[in-house]
Amino acid sequence: MPKKSPQRSTAKAPSRINAAERMLNLLALLSARTQPITLKQIRAELANQYSEDNEAARAQFERDKSDLRALGIPIEGSVLGGAQAGETAYSVNRNSYELSDMGFTPEELQALQVAAAIVHLGAQEGEQALWKLGAERVNPKIGPRATIGFTDPHLNVILEAISKRAPLTFMYKGEERSVDTYGMLARRGFWYLIGHDHLRNAQRVFRVDRIESEIRMGKGNSYVIPKGLNIAKSVPTDRQMMASGDYEHSTAHVRVDASLVRIVTREFGETAKISDEADGSAVFEVPCSNGYAFRLWLFAMVDKAEVVSPPEVRDMVVRWLDDLAESA
Amino acid sequence: MAKKRSTKRKAPRKTKQQSTSRKSTKRTVSRAASRTVSRSTAKRPSKRRGPRSASERVAGLLVLLPWLMKRKRVRLSEVAKQFRMSEEDLVADIQMAAVCGVPPYTPDALIDVFIDDGWIVAEVPNFFTRPLRLTSAEMYAVVAMVRAAQKLPGAPERSVLARAVAKLARLAPEAVDAPIHIDLPDEPHLEDLRAAQADSAELRIEHMNPSTAEVKQRTIRVVRIFSDHGHWYVMADDDKSGAIRNFRVDRIQSIVRTGKVYNQADVASRVDDDGERGWFGSDLELVTLRVRGDATWIAEAYPTVSRTQNKDGSIDVSLRITSEHWLSRLLLRGGRNVQVIEPAKYVDLSRRTARAVRAKYAQPRG
Repeated sequence: MPKKSPQRSTAKAPSRINAAERMLNLLALLSARTQPITLKQIRAELANQYSEDNEAARAQFERDKSDLRALGIPIEGSVLGGAQAGETAYSVNRNSYELSDMGFTPEELQALQVAAAIVHLGAQEGEQALWKLGAERVNPKIGPRATIGFTDPHLNVILEAISKRAPLTFMYKGEERSVDTYGMLARRGFWYLIGHDHLRNAQRVFRVDRIESEIRMGKGNSYVIPKGLNIAKSVPTDRQMMASGDYEHSTAHVRVDASLVRIVTREFGETAKISDEADGSAVFEVPCSNGYAFRLWLFAMVDKAEVVSPPEVRDMVVRWLDDLAESA
Repeated sequence: MAKKRSTKRKAPRKTKQQSTSRKSTKRTVSRAASRTVSRSTAKRPSKRRGPRSASERVAGLLVLLPWLMKRKRVRLSEVAKQFRMSEEDLVADIQMAAVCGVPPYTPDALIDVFIDDGWIVAEVPNFFTRPLRLTSAEMYAVVAMVRAAQKLPGAPERSVLARAVAKLARLAPEAVDAPIHIDLPDEPHLEDLRAAQADSAELRIEHMNPSTAEVKQRTIRVVRIFSDHGHWYVMADDDKSGAIRNFRVDRIQSIVRTGKVYNQADVASRVDDDGERGWFGSDLELVTLRVRGDATWIAEAYPTVSRTQNKDGSIDVSLRITSEHWLSRLLLRGGRNVQVIEPAKYVDLSRRTARAVRAKYAQPRG
């Protein structure tokens, strides 16, 4: 029996609409059936929705099936025996794609909404999740809000791989890397991937936006994530970078102008402060084993910071400055 | 992420006062808001190009329908806003869903959803009542959001969030092992700023300008508090410049309340959220730098107008600068691996800056 749909005529682009409608009807039909049904039966039920041409109808059905699968709705096929030998019957198990009742209290949902508003992911995932959980996107006007970019096309693959414990293969700094992915860190506007790098046979950190190729995902359940792994601590901070080198002097004393004392104290802690000077400036002991990281930190203060000791580090800074001052 | 960001900048939140007091707004807007805005374009209602595909519409409906059925009656305009859809698209989708169901497609065999005088009504749940499962990415996103939000002032009560996460954990135990971590800087001033905003309390702050390291007193009225690129900013109405500007919170030395109260709506109305213009205002000076080796971070760290990879591996980047001070700091940090191509007046800036800083080391110490 053809569908009665007075509103149908108001819609535009009929061919597209038909495909969407057909997909919904297919899903409704398969979800309502307890027994698998063949494409022939499906076509009979969804009268006039699939093409009359067998091949075209098969192509439409395969496309619907793969589109639904992409939405997380697997349509299972099983080959029949007996009178229908060779035919495939299709079914969908609602439990395999529907979210079970989470049993959130209104208070918990509200809390999730607020959390999602405070830390907003600049992408669909966070919102989709909220809606699926029955919550809403809210927009609190008061209080701090952070927006975390979540738009890198690689993120979804990486997250899926982590959940499946499936190794990833990609090009990085010109080499093919195969990585058991343990986790990801968002810091300072970048995403980092932490995992065991088979090429180096060691735990390594990769910046996701520096991955140079498509990411291929291997077989699931290929590894276990080490217990007690601390993702946040797996990626060195600027401060740790300054301490991660082999320069013979591991620390330097740096005098910092009064205006910068608060910031440097926050960076290195009150214990790093060695002395307060009469003019409000202060001397800090900071790591300098990594000359490059130390220079980036020191020169960010331009002429508001000065290395006091040891003399070798002071000389090194003077050499950097002389070298730059005399550069052509 | 960085590569995309660098060339496609969206407009910063422009202030109505900007034209009269550009100087004061330039730096803060350029270094902070631009990034936030560029990365949060998803926040705006989508301006779709071309028709949506069938599977996009189905995907949307499979999320929308259970959400509606849970609520039974919701204003059409609110739903459109919530789901970032045009009302036109939403109506088309609802009308389409209303004629879907199972054979024989009689009224009782259709999805019971209709539009009634500006309301969407879905009172009888018969199909698509349960939402789709969360994908791994969505599950991780929720858990990571909750964990990061917990540390911020204004967050919901910890125990409530913990209970919600525990319920999620039943679905996906692996997500709760927290393989995703969002690192936000700890900032002791946040609580004071939030409280002041909540009370509409005017503040006096001491704020440090990074390139001159000068500390200035300012009286501000908080509009919003946001993080970007690992720093917290407070967008505020600043009496000194008479403009809305962004202050980096870690550069605020002290905060005290003046005792005055302000009108939130009044101040907020001065922020022109919709006002977009090409991010690169022509009032900011354009410089071209050649970076190589360990200075190529410069090409990623700041908004760039253009970026060209040279055969020798160096990169030419053009960026708008807000002051000579700012550029000199960048050049000093980049060292020999950054070179000013133009304008000519800055070709020598790196040497001049190095000499000026070198002067500090003229007297022996230690």
